[in-house]
Amino acid sequence: MFPAPILEYFRPASVGEATRLLSGGAGENAHIIAGGQSLMQAIKSRLISPDALIDLQDIKALRSIHFDKNGLVIGAMTSYADIASDKRIPAAFAALCDAAGHVGDRQVRNRGTIGGSLCWNYIAACLPPTCLGLSATLELQNAAGRRRMVEARAFLKGPLETDRSSDELLIAIHLGPAAARTGSAYRKWGLVTDALPVVNICVSLEVGADHICREARVALGARSEGPTRVEAAELALRGVRKGDVRAIDAALDAAAEAADYQSDLWADAPYKKVLLRKIGREAVTVAFARASGEVGK
Amino acid sequence: MNAHIRNEGDWVGASVNRKEDRRLTTGQGQYFADKKIPGTLHLVFVRSQQAHARIVSINTDAARALKGVVAVVTGADIRTQIKGLPQPVVVPSFAANYPDFWPLAVDKVKFHGEPVAAVIARDRYVAEDAAALVEIVYDPLPVVTDMEAALAEGAPIVHDGWASNEMFAMNYTGGGTPESEAAHARKVDEALAAAAVVIRRRFRVHRCGVTPLEPRGAMATWDDDGLTAWITTQRPHIDRLALSDVLEIPSDKVRVIAPRDQGGAFGVKAPFYREPILVCHMARVLGRPVRWLETREEHLMSVSQERDQIHNIEIGADASGRIVALRDNAIADNGDGCEGVYWGFVMPFFGAAVLTNAYDIPLCDIRIRVACTNKAVLSPARSFGAFAARFALDRAIDLLARELKIDPADVRRRNLIAELPYTTATGVHHDSGDYAKVFDHLTTLVDLKGFRAEQARSRAEGRHIGIGFSVGAELSGVSSAVLVSMENQPGFGAATVRVDPRGKVQVFEGDAPQGQGHETSMAQVVAQEFGIHPADVSLTTGDTGTTPFGSGTIGARGGSYTVSAVANACRALKSKMATVLLHDLKVEGVPSDVSFRDGRVFLTADPTQGKNFAALAERIVMAPLGLPAGMQAGLDQTEFFEADVPMLTFGAHAAIVEVDPETGIFKILRYVASDDFGTVINPIVVAGQVHGGVVQGLSNTMFEEFVYDENGQQLTATLENYKIANAADMINIESHHEAGSACPHTPLGSRGLGEGIPGPVPAALTNAVCDALAPFGIEVNRLPLRPNTIWRLLQDKAASKG
Amino acid sequence: MKRAITITVNGQEHEEMVENRLLLVDFLRDVINLTGTHVGCSFEGVCGACTVHLDGVPVKSCLMLAVQADGRSITTVEGLAKNGVLSILQQSFTEHHALQCGYCTSGILMNATEFLQSNPSPSEDEIRASLIGNICRCTGYVHIVAAIKTAAQRLAATRLEVAK
Repeated sequence: MFPAPILEYFRPASVGEATRLLSGGAGENAHIIAGGQSLMQAIKSRLISPDALIDLQDIKALRSIHFDKNGLVIGAMTSYADIASDKRIPAAFAALCDAAGHVGDRQVRNRGTIGGSLCWNYIAACLPPTCLGLSATLELQNAAGRRRMVEARAFLKGPLETDRSSDELLIAIHLGPAAARTGSAYRKWGLVTDALPVVNICVSLEVGADHICREARVALGARSEGPTRVEAAELALRGVRKGDVRAIDAALDAAAEAADYQSDLWADAPYKKVLLRKIGREAVTVAFARASGEVGK
Repeated sequence: MNAHIRNEGDWVGASVNRKEDRRLTTGQGQYFADKKIPGTLHLVFVRSQQAHARIVSINTDAARALKGVVAVVTGADIRTQIKGLPQPVVVPSFAANYPDFWPLAVDKVKFHGEPVAAVIARDRYVAEDAAALVEIVYDPLPVVTDMEAALAEGAPIVHDGWASNEMFAMNYTGGGTPESEAAHARKVDEALAAAAVVIRRRFRVHRCGVTPLEPRGAMATWDDDGLTAWITTQRPHIDRLALSDVLEIPSDKVRVIAPRDQGGAFGVKAPFYREPILVCHMARVLGRPVRWLETREEHLMSVSQERDQIHNIEIGADASGRIVALRDNAIADNGDGCEGVYWGFVMPFFGAAVLTNAYDIPLCDIRIRVACTNKAVLSPARSFGAFAARFALDRAIDLLARELKIDPADVRRRNLIAELPYTTATGVHHDSGDYAKVFDHLTTLVDLKGFRAEQARSRAEGRHIGIGFSVGAELSGVSSAVLVSMENQPGFGAATVRVDPRGKVQVFEGDAPQGQGHETSMAQVVAQEFGIHPADVSLTTGDTGTTPFGSGTIGARGGSYTVSAVANACRALKSKMATVLLHDLKVEGVPSDVSFRDGRVFLTADPTQGKNFAALAERIVMAPLGLPAGMQAGLDQTEFFEADVPMLTFGAHAAIVEVDPETGIFKILRYVASDDFGTVINPIVVAGQVHGGVVQGLSNTMFEEFVYDENGQQLTATLENYKIANAADMINIESHHEAGSACPHTPLGSRGLGEGIPGPVPAALTNAVCDALAPFGIEVNRLPLRPNTIWRLLQDKAASKG
Repeated sequence: MKRAITITVNGQEHEEMVENRLLLVDFLRDVINLTGTHVGCSFEGVCGACTVHLDGVPVKSCLMLAVQADGRSITTVEGLAKNGVLSILQQSFTEHHALQCGYCTSGILMNATEFLQSNPSPSEDEIRASLIGNICRCTGYVHIVAAIKTAAQRLAATRLEVAK
């Protein structure tokens, strides 16, 4: 299967050039292509038929992982592979490495980007719930040069929907600042290894020296309404001591209730809750351990 | 390693590196899509989005108007130009309802994915643009997607003019008249009533198959020589005859070429399909080369779907576990049934025929009904028709064993056919070997006793591990006795061997391998026979213009039939060469006094007297003077091999798993196969066949499933949705063939293998999972075997106890 | 709709006019006639048979447009053997019978070649995980894993030689 005719192909070298193309320079039906690992599927199957493509590969400024005074900044065009292998990413954001390290396969991780994943916001994606669970802030810029910071929670809407307006470019993902003794983890389940997630969860925990959870964030994806934070589970995790399996399970039960899963080809809705509890336990356990510096990433 | 190596340094029995691999690891393979002819037009099918509907109208104007489009055709256009199917050449010798069909739908569509129109354009991209512009108006009809519903009174009828959806039905064991069938059924009833234990269960195996990585394709040219067609096919000679009949082109004007390199087939490329017919027809109509290259979506929508059977089993045994009687009322879902050679129903027919597997079951009542539904037709997949039957019977035997509280391995062992040859109640001939020995080797390999002790310890620690067994008596080639009735084709193996004046050997084989390594295995055999090096042997396959007639690479024919024809051709030539040598040396003797070794032909009794192999060949071919009286010149020999009896290959499988009862998630810890492959030609190639066959079986059992919704929409036409096992899902499969024995019916003692290997897999794996969960008492009698299914059964069990 | 592009493939520069929508895999196979790179999906990009190196990194050439590779460097399976000598990995594949039909092999070789550079002494689990983007329908992966393992050992020995 082949793409429908693509009239124009642009490869801007700067953010300014890209946003100018977005705000009209590339025509009505223009589409950004980042890593293209989802977009090319959609283009080849003619789910979408853009007249113009704006390829961001030459904008070097969008491809970086660095720290600023608030925490971690990841350029939108940074590949999954670069994120997964970055040893500097701290325990607080280690869920990002979990997620990026298991998207698709090696080839996909070499091309696919964090920004592309967030802007596509596919139902079965790893990065949207991860960024939600880490309370990421997204930096966007338009042709007028206006920069805007949006919380992941506000940015990620229903599947394939985001808060990005058509003339805006996602520039970077900001994480932090994180409290000391914060750990995070991401886990997913699919029928075959590293498949698109049927169930997934991101957990971020701030833990006291007494191994009691002070603050928790829990996000789920693979839902027909889009990724979501689960406050009931977050509340339930607060005050839970590391290793308290019963309390952790209770929190995950709350998450499963709130998930409102639908049955699909891979698992029925009740079973998804079972899976969520299994992977959720793992995610919470790893997040606790990371918070207390017990395991690396 | 191999117990049958005859001499140190022999080629047969050695793990020779494959001759194919240099080109295939450097990107030099020549697959179908790699063949290019300048000026080729590209054909793209427009396929039905409806499962069952009348075609009200097809508007092709916009498609035709697109720049670069050469033609757009519909069923209405071609139905008067070419014959429809069925045609006798591709119809089995069975009574059945054979639906009429053309390459493009006529009047109505019967499944989601049926070709309705075709666009021919100068390139594939443009052809696809045009295909999107073809407007089809449908009038939807009621859809039937369930086989039992399709057979019920009042069901929507798939084929116009049929009274019901029953395409084929058979009572295998009842004797042929209603009275004899009833009497036989009573006999089985009585035996079951008298049995110490009876198991009655329904076993359901889902629709899945073994889709190869290379999709199908066809390319045709038309010129003064007639039609030349390159087709991804396992049986070029059959395709040639069929194309000749359907397109009404004299057979001498049709040449079919199966590419030397084919990207897997596993049965999928064996039928005579509708798409190549249209490609060839359009090449003739347009007078230009036309090519169709199947997309993965087309492939998953229209072919590679198999299994899809229900087996209603009743099985009785005495207190010792000896089976006394078996009944099976089987049903299969055959989709629209439109497919040359197999018509979809030949697979379930065969599956039920071999239901009794390697077990000695004295009394059987076996029947099948095959239904047409609004789905794609079944197309062959490795473990042809038998995958579901193997699952049903080996699950039922495990349930018998549980009921009797005897280890399932013991019950199996007790019922294996003890004395060979043996003919089953359905007439399947078991030729040779020692089934019990092969099975016992398996239980030794897995240390069954030790495993049971470990299992008990693990259970005490809250871990649930289990072991499952199953067996398979699978085709070792298909004899004419079987193939003439089943597919209207001969079963013989055919090969031409030519020794050239430089001592190089060319082998010609009318089959069309797709990764089995024939170039290497056949060369090993030739090298062994002539005492030369495999590097001096080349193989040509798949071209009907140059190879002897053969029925194709199907049913494990390579290592049984074709290789035997090669060996016999070599032996005939050796006899001739030896006779000439004796004659030239003026030595009294018979050909068996002469040895072929290390590139020389010499007197065994006096190795100094002889000639180089090449020199002797040159003397016979290029200087045919003073030959023994009455001897013809030349060193070409064609042989047709037919074994004196139909042959099978026996194997036994064991799976060991660990299951988490909380989630139903399981892990395969070991998978072991013990097989009888007779004389093994290339052990590493044989191991590869087992690994691949087992993993296909596991992938079918655990992951793969073609899903249609209630409207007949196919939901699994991408590799994203049709899940195939990846490397991280699998483990190292252990393959053993030490307990085998040489086959007495082939010249080398070899047996054919590969085709049936997935067959025992679903039962071995499912039996292992059920064994692990024995304390919970769940039964898995339905595939796919997924964590969700296991968890659900555990919940239901807990609820019923609660 | 057309555009002039320059792509270096296996060290050789190719200047061609191509349609914007042309897939990289079709550029390789149909424009410059390197047919060792194969196609096994319609649009989903799951099978991995089309894997090539883009500036040294394995990617799926069916999920990229040719224009996206303009100015960049591609290596295909045809570029692995040097002067007719198979690479250590290719050689290991032939010795371990790590291929049957060979259709997936090109993609697996490209993926595994770079994998062994980034992880020179992988565990079996790591090798298996590295192959998730390549479906093989024939071998059951057993011999592929063995071939990669052996190649890793031989590459390590070669490096040791060089170091000495």
